[in-house]
Amino acid sequence: MEQVHLKVNESPLPSSSLIAGAHLGAGLGLKAEHLDDILALPAVSETCTGSHLWFEVHTENYFVAGGPRLSYLRSIRENYDLSFHGVGGSLGYDHQSMPEHLKQVKTLIDEFQPALVSEHAVWSRSKGAYFADLMPLPRTHDALQSLVEGIDRYQLGIGQRILIENPSNYLDFTSEMDEPQFLVEAAHRSGCGLLIDINNLYISSKNTGIDVVEYLSQIPADLVGEIHIAGHDPDPELGQALLIDSHASAVDLPVWALLEHALSLFGHKPVLVERDANIPPFAELMHERQTAQGYLEQLRSNAA
Amino acid sequence: MAISSYIDAFSIYLRTGDVSGMNDFCVNAEHLKRMSVYRNGFYKGCVDALAANFPMCEKFVGSNNFKDIARIYVDHYPPEKGTLVGYGLNFPDFLDDFITELKKQPEVLKLPTNLTDLARLDYAWLMSLMSADTNQALTAEKVTWLMNGGYDFTQSVVTLSASVILLQVRVGTLMQWIALKTNSSEIVQEENSANELAQSENSLSSDLVMLWRVQGSVQVRALSSPEWAVMHALQGEGDVLEKAFDTALVLDSDFDVSDVFSACIQNEILEIDMTKYNHNK
Repeated sequence: MEQVHLKVNESPLPSSSLIAGAHLGAGLGLKAEHLDDILALPAVSETCTGSHLWFEVHTENYFVAGGPRLSYLRSIRENYDLSFHGVGGSLGYDHQSMPEHLKQVKTLIDEFQPALVSEHAVWSRSKGAYFADLMPLPRTHDALQSLVEGIDRYQLGIGQRILIENPSNYLDFTSEMDEPQFLVEAAHRSGCGLLIDINNLYISSKNTGIDVVEYLSQIPADLVGEIHIAGHDPDPELGQALLIDSHASAVDLPVWALLEHALSLFGHKPVLVERDANIPPFAELMHERQTAQGYLEQLRSNAA
Repeated sequence: MAISSYIDAFSIYLRTGDVSGMNDFCVNAEHLKRMSVYRNGFYKGCVDALAANFPMCEKFVGSNNFKDIARIYVDHYPPEKGTLVGYGLNFPDFLDDFITELKKQPEVLKLPTNLTDLARLDYAWLMSLMSADTNQALTAEKVTWLMNGGYDFTQSVVTLSASVILLQVRVGTLMQWIALKTNSSEIVQEENSANELAQSENSLSSDLVMLWRVQGSVQVRALSSPEWAVMHALQGEGDVLEKAFDTALVLDSDFDVSDVFSACIQNEILEIDMTKYNHNK
């Protein structure tokens, strides 16, 4: 395994975004169909740090000039913290159209003041085409440089640090370093933090054989600003030989176990339960959220 | 390894399905077939977005047919912006060409010509829904304020709200679109008969349609020719209110200016820049 020694840039950006989530507990992905349920939740005085319910949105879904979509986000923001999770920034490649993209992200950030802002360590754009999915980067020095440039541009464009998420891996591409090295180096050089998606790690372990425990041990706790958990499904053709990051089912037991392990390493971090398809009733998602919150409470009682 | 050669090979695979270029970058050649996860994800994201943005089109042709058509559209017009919000700007024009092409080929799926107009209505509805909010709506209170201040509001320059969209579609298509939206098959049947009649009598006639958003909800209605003339005059930079209504009166001397103006006020269709009048609210 090749060691990576690269210069760490001094970032002019404030470090606030990495610690802004300290008061957040477990959160949920915001779904329009749950708006009424959320607004009907009793006002809870959550004075205890680390227990606040919060909601994450895909930033690009709010690239609208006005209308009800922004209105309902405003109504949620009145009572809850938000996290903006970008899916279309293409940090890894083709940054030419990023200024226009970032202008819209910045407009949303200025209005909604999200507690967390994140993106993915992937590419999704090349030669003017947007491929509308999270495409993996090869873990090479050249790709790392391109990713760091993308993160730099993104952070400068919005005026704050971001978190970058580890990808789901379905097969191995040529690489010059392992994934923790790649991400940690990107974080050190750009000043960004990391969003560790436990479900992505689990399915990567099943699909490509990575050792999740070893992986997590290489991630410095102070770089981690958020954790994601989600459900996955077997590929329709290849079955259990290939797990897909579907976000279409409940969080699986091994993923909960890995979450517990990750929290024991990283300490308290905001945990998001993601669900993007087969959306269940809000109460069902809140039950999963409560389970995640339970792990955070357990961590605190262990520390006391 | 230069990242550009990897991305180029990956992009070719995504656009064409030719995975051969990825051989050099894949550790285990047996796993190359797993690349389909990424291509499927790309197409699914785009096709789902088109289905969401053109819901009545999808309903009209059926989900499977729509997916087939949408995939071809994605091949021709992949998204350019880093969001799928509003994806499909060229979809109605693409459908126009696609339907023309299908007509040349025997024994393939035939699509009705007005599918293009259903698509235009779907997209107009979406654009109205997502358009900018206004704080410059011309309200009854503002009209009263102008009158009390001695201003002749009929001489004010007025524009249309950003949510107002005007379009012309083949006659009968608006009712068909509304029927699809409201799950009203009776309207569709009646309208199909009316449509055939209208087309045989006057193939050049069209529905003049206005969509607008009020209190977060998009509204739609057919306009008469004089109403269309008023709205047309107020598009873009706007016009003096009296002048705009005069265009309608030229077409129909019985045109009820008062009724239409009241409806515009109630529906927040008009905007006025009150800073010209030192109005602070």
